[in-house]
Amino acid sequence: MRFSNPILIKEMRSRMRGMRAFLVLTGYVTLLSIIVGLIYLVLSKNAPATLVNQAGIVLTPVLIYVQMGLICLIAPTFSASAVSFEREQQTFDLLIVSLAKPTTILFGKVGAALSYLLLTLFGSVPLISLTYSMGGVSMGDIAIAYLIMIVQGVTYCSFSFLWSTLIKRSVVSQLVSILTVIVLVAAMPALALFFTALSASFTGGPSSTFINVTFLLLRTNPFAAVASLIPGFPMPNNVWLRSVPIWLSQVVFYLLLMISSLYLSLRRLRNARNWV
Amino acid sequence: MIKIENVTKTFGDFTAVDAVNLEIGKGEVFGFIGPNGAGKTTTIKMLATLSLPTEGTLSVGGFDIVRQPREVRRIIGYMPDSFGVYEDLLVWEYLDYFAALYQVEPSRRKGIINDVLELTDLTIKYNAQVMSLSRGMKQRLCLAKTLLHDPDVLLLDEPASGLDPHARIEIRELIRELCRMGKTILVSSHILTELADFCSSIGIIERGKMLAAGRIDEITAALSGNVVIEITVKGDPLAAIQVLEEREDITRATSDGRVVHAEFTGATDDVDQVLEYLINRGVRLTAFTPASADLEDIFLKITRGAVA
Repeated sequence: MRFSNPILIKEMRSRMRGMRAFLVLTGYVTLLSIIVGLIYLVLSKNAPATLVNQAGIVLTPVLIYVQMGLICLIAPTFSASAVSFEREQQTFDLLIVSLAKPTTILFGKVGAALSYLLLTLFGSVPLISLTYSMGGVSMGDIAIAYLIMIVQGVTYCSFSFLWSTLIKRSVVSQLVSILTVIVLVAAMPALALFFTALSASFTGGPSSTFINVTFLLLRTNPFAAVASLIPGFPMPNNVWLRSVPIWLSQVVFYLLLMISSLYLSLRRLRNARNWV
Repeated sequence: MIKIENVTKTFGDFTAVDAVNLEIGKGEVFGFIGPNGAGKTTTIKMLATLSLPTEGTLSVGGFDIVRQPREVRRIIGYMPDSFGVYEDLLVWEYLDYFAALYQVEPSRRKGIINDVLELTDLTIKYNAQVMSLSRGMKQRLCLAKTLLHDPDVLLLDEPASGLDPHARIEIRELIRELCRMGKTILVSSHILTELADFCSSIGIIERGKMLAAGRIDEITAALSGNVVIEITVKGDPLAAIQVLEEREDITRATSDGRVVHAEFTGATDDVDQVLEYLINRGVRLTAFTPASADLEDIFLKITRGAVA
C-alpha cells in the first residue's frame, strides 16, 4: 500500500521551502554545540580529572535537557496553529468540503509538526555521539532519553492540535498550549514540592504520604524521568511504585495523554460542521 | 439536482434562513440574488455540507447533506465568497494538493491540472508562487481548484466580489463556459447585472425568506405588469402620442425627445399589434422596442418596502 498524506506533503513543502528551515536547523545545532563546548571548557579547567575523564555524565544530560526545553517551545508553536490558522486564513472550509477524512487532516497536521521536531532531534545525534564517546553514560540510557523526548514531542503536538481545533485564534491557541506545557512540566512538581515543604514545617519532617504524592507527580514529568536515569538519583525505599522505573511511568502517562488528545481532536474534526 | 425543502437555519435568536424551498434542475444556472446578509451564504454553506440546517432537508444529486455529506462533496465544487490561498505554494502545487484531497489518481493529476489551468487562463502561471498572483488570478485559481474533480454541481458564492471590471468580465466568461459544459450552477451575487446574462432561473432572498424563485421569463411575466414600449419616431412625437392614445390598451404615452414611451396593458405577445397600428396610421418610426423588466426592476419590485 502506498502511504501518501496530501496535507503532510503540503505542510512539508511550505515548511522546507527556501533557506529558513536549513538556517533554523543549522542555528539549533550550532547553539547546542556552543553550550556543550562551553561546559566542556569549564569542566576541563575546574573539575577533577576523574570527572573530566567521564565528561559525558555531565554533558549528555545537559544536551538532553536543552533539547527537552526546546521541545517545550517548538512543539506547541508548530502544532497549536494547525487548524486555527487554517480558519484564520479562510482555507479550512475548502479543506472540510474536500474528500479529506478527519484522520487525514489529523495525521497530516500533527505529522508535519512532528516531522520538523524529529528533524531537529535527529540533528543533535552527532553531538550526542560526541558526548557519549566522552564516557559516563550508557547507550541504553541515551536511547531511553530519546524515547522520552520523542514521546514528549508527540504528546505536546497532540494536545496543542486539540487546542487548535477548540480555539479560533492561533495566537490564543499557542498561548494556551504553552501554558499547558508549563503546567505539566513545572507547575505540578512545584506544587508537590510546595506541599511537601509545607507538611515538613508542621510535622518536623515530610510525611510519607506527601513524599509518595511528590514522587507520583514526578512520574508525570519528562525532566524528572531523564534525571532518574542519572546514577545517584534519590529514590526513597518505601515510596509507591518503587519497582517501576520513573521514565517508564512517565512515558506511559504521556502516551495516555497523547491518545486522549488525538481521540478528542478526531471527534472534534468529525463535528466540524457544527463549529460556528 | 438541488432540492431545498422547508429549510430554516438559526444562530441563537437570529434566523438566517427562514423556511426556504427551492428546486434547481440538472444543467440549470440558478442566480441567487439578495442583499448582503440576506441568507445566501448560509444557504450555500448548508448545500456545501459546511453547516447543518436547524430544520428541513437539503439534497444535492439525490444525496442528503446531513446523512450523506461525503457523497455530496464528491459531486459538488464549492467556491466561497471569501477564501484564503496557501501563499507559499506554487500554483501547480496548490492544485496538486487539492487534487490529492479530492482523491484524483496521481497519474491523472498533471493532465487535469493543465486542463483547469487552461480553462481558467492561468497556464502561464503554472510555476508561479500563489502569493505573486493578482486578486483576479487568485479568484480564477480558486475556481480552477473547484473544477479539479469534475463536479456536476458548482456552488459559487459571490465569485466576482472585490474584482475590478476586467477581472469581473473574465469570471463571467468563465461561468458562461461552464454553463456550456452542462454543469448545474448555483451562483450568488448582490450585483444583479452580473447574473442577468447567463442565469436561466433566479431566486430572490431577503432577510432569510425566499421572496420569489423560478425561471427568469416566468418571474418577469408574473411581476412586470404593463409592458413599456420605446418608440423612436422620425416625425413629430406628439402626433405619434395622439395616435397611440386612441388605443384602449395604451394607458399612458410620454415623449423624451424623439423617443416615445407607451405603457401597454395587453399581453406581451400582442405588442406587434401596436406596431402594425402605428404603421397603418402613417407614423414613421425608426425603432420599436418593447422593454421587458430587467432583474433590477424585478428585484426592486419584489423587495419594495422590505429593503432598508
